[in-house]
Amino acid sequence: MKTGQTSWSRVAVNVSAVLARWLLGAVFLYMGLSKALHPVDFLKLLRQYDLTQSPLLLNSLTATLPWFEVFCGLLLLLGIAVRGTALTLIVMLVPFTLLVLHRALLLHTALAIPFCAVKFDCGCGNGTELICRKLSENLLLFALSAALLAGRGRQFSLRFSLIKPSA
Amino acid sequence: MSHGGKLVHAVREILVKDNSSQAGNVGRTHAAGRIIREAALVAILGAAFAFAANQVSPLGLALTRDYFPAGTASPAQPAVAGTNSGAVTPAQFLAEQMKEKGLQLLEDGKAARLFHDPRFKQDIIVFIDARDEEHYQQGHIPGAYEFDPYRPEKYFDTVLPVCQKAEQVVVYCNGGDCDDSESAAILLRDVGISNQKLFIFGGGITEWTANNQPVETGARNSGNLRKPNP
Repeated sequence: MKTGQTSWSRVAVNVSAVLARWLLGAVFLYMGLSKALHPVDFLKLLRQYDLTQSPLLLNSLTATLPWFEVFCGLLLLLGIAVRGTALTLIVMLVPFTLLVLHRALLLHTALAIPFCAVKFDCGCGNGTELICRKLSENLLLFALSAALLAGRGRQFSLRFSLIKPSA
Repeated sequence: MSHGGKLVHAVREILVKDNSSQAGNVGRTHAAGRIIREAALVAILGAAFAFAANQVSPLGLALTRDYFPAGTASPAQPAVAGTNSGAVTPAQFLAEQMKEKGLQLLEDGKAARLFHDPRFKQDIIVFIDARDEEHYQQGHIPGAYEFDPYRPEKYFDTVLPVCQKAEQVVVYCNGGDCDDSESAAILLRDVGISNQKLFIFGGGITEWTANNQPVETGARNSGNLRKPNP
């Protein structure tokens, strides 16, 4: 009986993990495409952050970031290099979330409104959003990425690991 | 501990299991190292894919172009509520910004007067719409020429001769904090259109429609006019 329960819970965990991988892949594919198809809009939004005064750097970031997200989204959907992709997404999510938070804090101070009432288009691919909702979404994406990094979601993967352990 | 060492350690901490690695710390460290190498490979391949996709895409950006000739700094932040009476008005602030960039701001109500001036019909007065094609098609000042400053090469052939011939060129975008009209005016100035005849309509299409002026949809001179509200 106990073995049956364990096996069912394992199946549930595995199914959830695969769904999480597909969800994360679909989200990044969608967010990447929505920016890649409107690069000028994304350029203007990215400019809000005053990241650099160099047009070359700003253009390069704007031109590549959406397609990079599309690439990562596809890898996750297909199940290729899943843990490496999850780590890459975490490395990307942390600084971008901090940038969005920084801008939200500036608006919160400038407009003298409650923090969660701050609403702006952060250039994340979903249009204008309330900051607290955006931060919650990013936290969820971070958690899903961490779960994949921990080795979940192997089922239905084309090639879960690109780099195999040496014999 | 080096940065690389810290990263390996951090990844190792969140590893739950790795079926293909040996048990114990050594195995976990090897697995963490593999994941980091895999992430680096994903980053390199992803960057190559992204640059290639941008090159191939018809919507791709030109990496070396300065898309914001009016300045790379972002538009002004929203004003703080409760400013004192000595503060400049948004219109004064905008006029001052234009002056700094060597551009002229059109006075209030002047855009409509120029539109109804008989010289407008003869292209002696010209309106330039500095928004993208989608917004232009949705509604522009009747007879205005389309000139997206982010894709200028597409419009120079049509717009340049008209601006050279005109005596006054009025450039507008959405209004508010939109600075695409400034970028368009600077682009036109850089290709030889005299600064003296370039004017920015700061209120843009938002003010135009709010003042119940006519709007044309579709292509220039399509005849599809959206009549002002009675």
